[in-house]
Amino acid sequence: MRRSYIVLISLISVIFVLAYLTTYMGILGPISSDTRYLAKLFLALTYNPDTSTSLRYLTAMSPEAVTAIVWDYRGIDTFYETTVFFMAIVSALTIYRGITNIESKTQGSGLSIIVRVVTKLLIPMNIAIAVSIAVHGHLTPGGGFQAGAALAVISVLLAVVFSGYSFGKLGMGISKAVALRSMGLLGIATVTLLPLIYGIVAGVQTYLMQNYMKVDSPFTFPIYAWGQLISGTLIWLNLAEFLAVSFGFFVIFMLLSLREETVKKYLGVGDGH
Amino acid sequence: MDITLVLIAIFSLVGFIFTFLAVIEKDLPKAVVFSAIQSAAYAALFYLLRAPDIVLVYLPVSVGLYPAALFFLIGKSERVEE
Repeated sequence: MRRSYIVLISLISVIFVLAYLTTYMGILGPISSDTRYLAKLFLALTYNPDTSTSLRYLTAMSPEAVTAIVWDYRGIDTFYETTVFFMAIVSALTIYRGITNIESKTQGSGLSIIVRVVTKLLIPMNIAIAVSIAVHGHLTPGGGFQAGAALAVISVLLAVVFSGYSFGKLGMGISKAVALRSMGLLGIATVTLLPLIYGIVAGVQTYLMQNYMKVDSPFTFPIYAWGQLISGTLIWLNLAEFLAVSFGFFVIFMLLSLREETVKKYLGVGDGH
Repeated sequence: MDITLVLIAIFSLVGFIFTFLAVIEKDLPKAVVFSAIQSAAYAALFYLLRAPDIVLVYLPVSVGLYPAALFFLIGKSERVEE
C-alpha cells in the first residue's frame, strides 16, 4: 500500500513539473489567448440571416455553432457515427436473438420504498430535461445524442431501482424499443434524402443533407415555424437522433438486466455450455 | 490569478487521483465508483473549458450508463480481481 502512495506522489510531481514547464517556461512555444481564425469563421457564419451578402450561402441558420457543425457542416460525419451506434445495437440484438419481450413478474421488487418513491419523482423531471435538450439542440448546448443519453439514464434507474421486470410492467418491450429506435433512424434517412427527392421532382441541383440554400442550389428547409427559429434540418435531425439513441440504450439495458436463466432458456443453451 | 485556472488544476488533480485509485483497486465495484468520481471531475473540467455540449453527453454516459453497464457485467462475473 505504501509503495502505491509513493507512485501516486511521484506521478503528481511529474504532472506539476510538466505543467510548470509548459505554462511558465514555454517549452511548447507561446500560448495564444486569441480565438483561432477557423473558430471566428464558424462563429460569424453559423447564424447569418443577412440576405444581402453572398455569405448567406455558407450559413446553417443556427446560433449553436456545435450543432451547426455536427449536423450541417460535418453532417455525414455524424451520420456515420449514428451508423456505428446502430451496428453496436444490432450486434447486441444478434447475441440475444429470439428474446422479443420481457415477461412482467411480481418477483424481484427492487430497492426500498424510499428509493423507489424518489426515483418515481425524478423520472418525469428526467424526461422533461431530455426532451428540452433535444428540442433546444439548435439554440442552446445539447442536441440529439446528449438528450438520448439523458433519457437512457431512466432505463438504468428502472433496471436497478425497480428490477428488470419493471420494463414489462410499463408495457415497454424490446420489440417496441427497437421500433421506436428504427423510427428515429428512418427520420434521419428521410431528412437526409428529402433534398434529393425535391431535386429530382423540381429539376434543380440539391445536395444530400442540405439545410440552407447554396450558391448553385435554391433548396431550403423551413427555417422558421410559427415565428420560432427551428434551423431547418437541425431540429428534425436532433429529434430523430434523440429517439434513435435513447431507445438504442433502452434496448441494451433491457437485455443486460435480463436474468441469466431467462437468456439461457430463450437461446436454448444449457448450463454445461 | 484566474479562478478558472485554479479550478481546472484542482479538478484535474482530483480526476488523476481517482484514476490512480481505480487502477490499483482490486474490488471491482469500488473501482467503478472511483472511475465515476473521476468522470464527474472531468465533466467539471469540460464545463470550465467551455464545452457544455460535451458536459451534457459526458455526465449521463460516464457517471450513469457506463458504470451501470460495468456493474451488470461484474454481477455476471467475479467481484474481486485476482
